[in-house]
Amino acid sequence: MLITQLKKKEELLPFFKENILLIACFGCKEVHFPSKEYELLKAELKTLNLNISGEIVLDYLCNEDYTAKRLELYRNEITKAGTLLVFACGVGVQTLAALLPDKTILAGCDTFYVPGFSGFTPTSYDCEQCGECKLGLTAGICPLTACSKGLLNGPCGGTKNGKCEVSKNMDCGWEKILLKSKAIGEPNPRIKEIVSIRDYKKSFS
Amino acid sequence: MPKLDYTKYKLKNKEELLNIIGDNARIYIVSCNKCFSELKSTCEPETAELNKLLNEAGKTTAGFMPLDFLCNEHLSEKALNSVKQDILKADAVAVISCGIGIQTVAGLLALPVLGMCDSVFQGGYHGISLNTEKCGACGDCYLTATGGICPVVDCSKGLINGPCGGAKNSKCEVSKDKDCAWESIYNRLKSQNRQDVFISEAPKIRNYNKNNADFMDSNVKRIQAKRNEGFYGGLYPEERKELTEKLVITKIADPEIVSIPLQQHAGAVCEALVKAGERVSLGQKIGASKAFVSAYIHSSVSGEVLAVEPRKHPLLPFPVLNVIIKNDKKDEIAPSVASKGSLSSCTGEAIVQAIKDAGVVGMGGAQFPTHIKLSSAKVLDTVLINGCECEPLLNADNRLMIERPEQVLTGLRLIMKAAGISKGIIALEDNKIEAFESLKSKLAGDACIEVISVRTKYPEGAERMLIKRVLNREVPRGGLPLDVGVIVNNISTVVAVYEAVYNGLPLVRRVVTVAGAGVEKPGNYEIKIGMQVADIARACGIKVPDNFELKMGGAIMGFVQDTLDVPVIKGTNGIIVVRKKDELTAEPCIKCGRCVNVCPMELKPHKLVLFAQAENWEMVEKEGVMNCIECGCCEDICSSKSHMVEIFKSSKKALKERKK
Repeated sequence: MLITQLKKKEELLPFFKENILLIACFGCKEVHFPSKEYELLKAELKTLNLNISGEIVLDYLCNEDYTAKRLELYRNEITKAGTLLVFACGVGVQTLAALLPDKTILAGCDTFYVPGFSGFTPTSYDCEQCGECKLGLTAGICPLTACSKGLLNGPCGGTKNGKCEVSKNMDCGWEKILLKSKAIGEPNPRIKEIVSIRDYKKSFS
Repeated sequence: MPKLDYTKYKLKNKEELLNIIGDNARIYIVSCNKCFSELKSTCEPETAELNKLLNEAGKTTAGFMPLDFLCNEHLSEKALNSVKQDILKADAVAVISCGIGIQTVAGLLALPVLGMCDSVFQGGYHGISLNTEKCGACGDCYLTATGGICPVVDCSKGLINGPCGGAKNSKCEVSKDKDCAWESIYNRLKSQNRQDVFISEAPKIRNYNKNNADFMDSNVKRIQAKRNEGFYGGLYPEERKELTEKLVITKIADPEIVSIPLQQHAGAVCEALVKAGERVSLGQKIGASKAFVSAYIHSSVSGEVLAVEPRKHPLLPFPVLNVIIKNDKKDEIAPSVASKGSLSSCTGEAIVQAIKDAGVVGMGGAQFPTHIKLSSAKVLDTVLINGCECEPLLNADNRLMIERPEQVLTGLRLIMKAAGISKGIIALEDNKIEAFESLKSKLAGDACIEVISVRTKYPEGAERMLIKRVLNREVPRGGLPLDVGVIVNNISTVVAVYEAVYNGLPLVRRVVTVAGAGVEKPGNYEIKIGMQVADIARACGIKVPDNFELKMGGAIMGFVQDTLDVPVIKGTNGIIVVRKKDELTAEPCIKCGRCVNVCPMELKPHKLVLFAQAENWEMVEKEGVMNCIECGCCEDICSSKSHMVEIFKSSKKALKERKK
């Protein structure tokens, strides 16, 4: 899943040359789209006497079929506009750009990653889709993502009081693995096996 | 049909599986139904495959459980708890899922968890719908400069300063099936005559620290906190309360004619007690039924009965008998309208009788007769007054709390006395600061009544959600608030109870919020029951714009009206004009999981749709369609635009008919 943040006004202003149509995607409105900030920015842009020709609010821009159908409804506005400033995640912006290849598309947001795949269930742990799952050996805690260095053969030694040296807010993944292993019984003896070098090709197969 | 399949796991090969399973003899299998793929079945083939392999290896399968969205911790925990006995008998739990699902199960169980699958890389995030476009979520969007083609994801090397030079015939050197992203970018920009934009820009260095662990963690925690706030699921719709929240309750000019339906309550329809030509006075009983679940109907004006005839009902799909009365505008009050006493002088039975005589029903929309709630034989301990009004736009209850706090508090005390309960709670959302202060100031140290403010979230006003949030009790599926010792009433109802006892006035008028697009004079109006929406539209200057529709009730759960010739009834808390929903046809489900994330009843709406469309009523019932509260969260969030509420309403109807 991912999350968007508005780009700074200063970053956007240089692009305000011709008449601009704002397109906002509210598909992820209730948690992820910075709607309040968007409203503030819009109000501010209006006071700057910029050439904004209109605004279209849609949802799920990433849904290509729907977006294609709905763009038909706004064909006039889009034809008239010189440039489209799109407030959406990177997927939404690209979908629109692919559907309107002759239009200049500006991205109004930066997109950030949040762990978790399905829908919008955010998780505090993550899966790197390595294609060589080790979770059966590591008490269900992923060394690739829970260890900030993605080490597969045990801790680096840089941990202090259970915290990672990269960020003191982060637990040491390997300490967690060992504690959990002990808690659920004897640590799997195979945890001591040396794990082969990660095969990066596997994740694509 | 969905074009793409984003399955994120594949079963490991046999050797690896046996190696991982090792000496464990009894295995419990938990499998995840794949997300972001076509919804066909409710159990994936990998489960059978693993089961077969276990059998061949002489292992015992202690049980198996296929789940949707294993990564949804809240629901997975409940599901796994329900089979805990079986799981505890196993030596280990084998999980068929992507890495996130495996980690979720491992976090929930104290047993060894065996990961049976390798997760397959999908190269970036693909949005909520199945889509060829992907986003690397780099936190530093380059799409403006690159013609809307992402160099981070589409270039196999993720170069952000132009091509590497390895492309041949427009194909990437890494794979000849892959277009060179930078060539695509150049061609796109050239077609727009913007090719100089990126060439002239200074080289960029990607800042990998933009989405660091702390930032990511804070986002996860914030979103999780919002999601799980008070109760599972729900939404945060745009409230737009500001349109009417400061507008004082005002009277609207009485209509010439009222049309009062004889069904304004859950239960049996009333029989008319008057005939055409008869004179009636304000507050006179004009409809009654002998059935246990029913509520009396009274005239809201004085005048002459013109007719008793079937008319269109604002909520029901069939015509209902209406008493049509010509208003003589004299407001002659019926002799039966007289004070029944006060809080101290009335006995509990007298209060219930007064409420019954006044035809008071739940005025939040469900219209359940209030006197029946109060006569329950169940052991009750709390009266919970629902002041949430969580639907966007509505302010009727909010204004009542601001302007008539004494009536609200007295009404609550009356209900407490009638039900023999010593504890009362008024819960309102934290967007109603004025109402909160107003109630608090009139509380005068009454220790039996608590006024609490809860964080705004839809559908908080649904009684189950409110009980969960305020009292942390769970109303059983298929049960009522009474089953957990609670009576829930809304604010308008409490005020009607006050009027019924203190003034002996039946429920003949109510406060209605009129707001939305094309409403010239929005406001909170005291409107007589039976007044036609057309008259109100004239008085408030409602002109429904194109692509908008008029609803009675709230913006989400309200009923769309295709004509204005319908009357205001006891449950009408709003007359609002909102944008029409897209009339696009529904696409097949892609299992994005959002409906499951937002369903406050913890149902699986996507599966209900699947079963309902296959007319598999057993499964529809098993999946709990009867527990659906029709709050519309799933439909609001659906990325395939499925008309879910409609499907569930007709499923319920079909189930009821089958039972007959």
